[in-house]
Amino acid sequence: MYMFKYICKRVGLMLVIFSIIFVICFVLIRLVPINTSVGLGQDKDILIAQIKDRGYDKPIPEQLVLYIQRIVKDGDFGRAYDKMPNIKMNTPVIDVFIERLPPTILINIMSSLLAVPVGIALGIFAALKKNKWQDHVISTAVMVIISVPSFVYGSLFLYVICFKLGILPKEIASLPAIAKQYALQYIPFTANWDLYFNPTMIKSMLPAVLCMSFGSIAGYTRFTRAELTEVLTSEFMLLARTKGLTKSQATVRHALRNAMVPIFPSIIGEVLSVLSGSLVIERIFSIPGVGALYLNAINAQDYDFFMLLSSFYLLVGLAAGLVIDLSYGFIDPRIRMGAK
Amino acid sequence: MNNKKIFRGVLAALLAALMMLSIVACVPATQNEEEYYTYNTFTTISPTNWNELTYQDNNDTQIMSYLGSSFFTFDFKFDENGEIVTGDFEIKYEAATKLEDVTAAYAEAWGLPADGKGYAYKITLRDDLKWQNGDPIKAEDFVYTMEQQLDPAFKNYRADSFYVGATIIANAQGYAKQNETIENLDNGVAGLYTLADLVKNADGVYTQPDGSAIYFALTTPLDWCGGKTVTQYSPYMNADSFAALQALADENGYVAITDETVALWTTLIYTEDWGFEGPENLPYYWIIPSYTYPEMTFDKVGIFAASDYELVLVLEKSLDLLKEDGSLSYKAAYNMASLPLVHKATYEANKQEPASGSDLWTSTYNSSVETTMSWGPYKLESFQAGKQYTLVKNDQWFGYALPENEGLYQTDKIVCDTIEEWNSAWVKFLAGEIDGIGIDVSVADDYKGSDRAYFTPDDFVASLQLQSSEEQLAARQSAGVNKTILADVRFRKALSLSINRADFAAETTTSSLQGFGLYNSMHYYDVANGKAYRESDAAKKVLCEIYNVDYTQYATLDEAVDAITGYDIDAARALVTEAYNDALAAGKISATDKVVITMGSGAINETVQRRFDYITEAWKELVKGTPLEGRLETEVKDFGSAWAEDFRAGKYDVCMGGWTGAAWDPGYFLLAYLSPAYMYSAAWDTSSQEMTFTMMGEEYTMSLMDWYNCLNGTGEHDWSDVALDQEDRLPLIAALEKEVLKVYYTVPLYNNFSASLLSYKVDYITYTYNTFMAYGGMKYMTYNFTDAEWAEQVAEANGEFDYK
Repeated sequence: MYMFKYICKRVGLMLVIFSIIFVICFVLIRLVPINTSVGLGQDKDILIAQIKDRGYDKPIPEQLVLYIQRIVKDGDFGRAYDKMPNIKMNTPVIDVFIERLPPTILINIMSSLLAVPVGIALGIFAALKKNKWQDHVISTAVMVIISVPSFVYGSLFLYVICFKLGILPKEIASLPAIAKQYALQYIPFTANWDLYFNPTMIKSMLPAVLCMSFGSIAGYTRFTRAELTEVLTSEFMLLARTKGLTKSQATVRHALRNAMVPIFPSIIGEVLSVLSGSLVIERIFSIPGVGALYLNAINAQDYDFFMLLSSFYLLVGLAAGLVIDLSYGFIDPRIRMGAK
Repeated sequence: MNNKKIFRGVLAALLAALMMLSIVACVPATQNEEEYYTYNTFTTISPTNWNELTYQDNNDTQIMSYLGSSFFTFDFKFDENGEIVTGDFEIKYEAATKLEDVTAAYAEAWGLPADGKGYAYKITLRDDLKWQNGDPIKAEDFVYTMEQQLDPAFKNYRADSFYVGATIIANAQGYAKQNETIENLDNGVAGLYTLADLVKNADGVYTQPDGSAIYFALTTPLDWCGGKTVTQYSPYMNADSFAALQALADENGYVAITDETVALWTTLIYTEDWGFEGPENLPYYWIIPSYTYPEMTFDKVGIFAASDYELVLVLEKSLDLLKEDGSLSYKAAYNMASLPLVHKATYEANKQEPASGSDLWTSTYNSSVETTMSWGPYKLESFQAGKQYTLVKNDQWFGYALPENEGLYQTDKIVCDTIEEWNSAWVKFLAGEIDGIGIDVSVADDYKGSDRAYFTPDDFVASLQLQSSEEQLAARQSAGVNKTILADVRFRKALSLSINRADFAAETTTSSLQGFGLYNSMHYYDVANGKAYRESDAAKKVLCEIYNVDYTQYATLDEAVDAITGYDIDAARALVTEAYNDALAAGKISATDKVVITMGSGAINETVQRRFDYITEAWKELVKGTPLEGRLETEVKDFGSAWAEDFRAGKYDVCMGGWTGAAWDPGYFLLAYLSPAYMYSAAWDTSSQEMTFTMMGEEYTMSLMDWYNCLNGTGEHDWSDVALDQEDRLPLIAALEKEVLKVYYTVPLYNNFSASLLSYKVDYITYTYNTFMAYGGMKYMTYNFTDAEWAEQVAEANGEFDYK
């Protein structure tokens, strides 16, 4: 019951915070005047008419009401404006977002699937070999990977693995090509999930997956090593050994479980954050994902795209915070949210 | 022991993960073994909308250019040995078989000048034009498409192509804007009424024929006046008349048109300072407070089908598409290459009703494979926005059966990937996966000398744009920081003379060359005769005069032009000293003030930073030995997508920019530098800046805008290319270029050239750039290898070609 009340309260608060930030985003982006310049020999009236048709000339409060009305009544999140790269003007923004989510999600999930076990395993190994050469090698590699920005190892990976060695493709496969190869159908502006689960597509995603996983592996390794090292020196570990458990039994049953309390929520957080994509890795491997959408929306002053993406990431961020908090209670029975 | 178990477990997990990856990695790559020729290319931004009625930018034309055909087209000119004649061209019929000037036949019905030429044309179409699905194409299809193009319910982006610019179809604007209400419509621009068109009412006030009001405007900005009002220009006009008119004006500054006010206005503008304007110019000063374009049916628009294959076009502005001998002029392929064409059934099926809260219709026509129809040499096979599109030969295209195309159009398939990152594209090029790429500055030194490198000029002259609003400069000054010295033309000239153009181009661009004028070698003042503006004596003298090179001291003008570097540090320092001393004496700058020049851009990337760094160093060098030594600083700011608007608003001092377009109409191109509507910094008042010049044997003094208007046939004199020979117009174009350059608000730096590499797989017919045909395009591209042969070449090269 405590838990239920706590969840209701948190959800309520989440909605209030969402509404406030939503309104702030809406007002701020519209305070930036929209570009109305035209080239030589163009009729500015056409551009003005397009802007008026979108209601951008109306007072901001009125625009806000109309925007919410459209979403609630018609599920219409707006249309792309004319300067959004790679996106046709007037295309419903939600359709573009839905089409671009799958590669981003899949690459990030595969990266997490690789990074979590490898990172935790290396972290455990380093912790168990604390201050030995194995630990030093792992810790040094971790520091190097964490220090190097993603565009560097992304470019290096592309150059060495994909180009010089030719082991993997240099870019993600196109959906129409996959559809042709596997006799499937590509439908624009839909998720096309069925086109992603085949060897050709998965192979073409591997470079991005591996590059995305480097940073995560390093992060998990460092985190796990630090947590486990601390737990392994706790008094209850001594107690576990004195009551007759072997070192591996004590490590697996007691040390690991306790060390996972802070590690597990971080995994949940990372899995949820995959929806935001990676601007750099997506550019290097020519992945038509959502990574660049947000930046492009701001540069292009595409109000509708900006609001859709802001709202989405805001919701994801708030939901992730809630889920992480709740997860503590499930991992560690001693923690009960909302209990007095 | 336990540690070993854990170690083995970790190792096992790692190996399992690696095995999974290896299994997937071992999936064999699919190779195209077919015996056809595929051209693999890339783009940084994907086309998204190749609907001719609404396409937004050049990215969209990538696909569009393959899906349509031309009535008339440019082609290389070949000599008797089959060799290309450098710089020359031919105009050929393609989708049309005949072009006739039918002005006389339609003069009465459409109110065209009875003895006029070039106002109405009949285009006879081939009778074998087909869509990719085999549907025939007839003249009526072009009429239907134009109706859709101009449909006011859509406000299509490209509707203005037929009422702004050179090709103005009769009543196209009226149809596109019907029922649209314009506030404060400028009669001088709209050209709706003369005094004879107005109706005099019982109270003596003239109104529009429908009884709506029309006024003289004293305080309303007039577009043709560069957005200024008559009141602002009143010091140049008759003071008594102005005072009398002011007394008659209402609170909006409107003066009713009566016989009395017509007389007053006639004297108002008939002054020496105002160029003794005559009463025929009175309509330029009229404003219509609210004008609603009347409803109109499409049959009033100047396009209709005379028969199944005969299309008639009636123009508001004459176009000389035919030479005197009846053959096609270059304008046929330039201004009338084609008209938009949509497949009626597909277009109708893809119309989208207005979204919630909107009034405008939209269309998804030509935005995906399913919604696309081609009547050109290629058709769309696949498309994924932001990723890839492929085109294959359209077997319904009439051109493949033409004998003159035998052996041409070798390309069977075009594959274009969207690759934003140049480095990613570069490794694909080296691996033989794409067939052409621009050379980035980072590898320029290694590859510029490659035998697979070629260099392409364009009409863009990159220039420094300097702030022209002294008011805004003053507003941004602060204690100890001066900016108004930029308002001194000597200081701006000094900034210009401190930059060595050739060195700047070499240091900051891949392959561009020094530029000195508003125009470069791509601008033609007489296209029909292949005469480039920059090659003319008049244009060469302009550069010599601007850059202090005395051409009389050289054997030829070419030698004098070759001596120009744009760099004269001694003269520049003298100018800085003069400007500074005068400013100091006038109290505009103090002896301790720093001069801080704010440079802005839409993005501060490596290239922009490199250019601004170069300029900073040049300007620091400039002030050495002058009173400003050590007191000139620069700063670079990112103004994002609003950089142009912010510069116009006077928010910073220097930006880089230039103009492209109108390369074959240098007279019109001047609009970009003379009209406040287009200028980068709009404070230079070209409506009051006067120039005295002898035109057609008679000396005139007029404002620069008036000279511009006359040059383009919209001013007091008609010196447009219709009325005058191009050689007669040339001196005026040169004079106006000089006027723009000598105020130093625009400082040309380099003529844009792009360097590219072409793979060993393909070849162009020529590597000498032809303004009209470029390198021959897909039509003339030849292949050294089929796809299968190329795959073997790639394997032999171990996936890496050497292009150095």
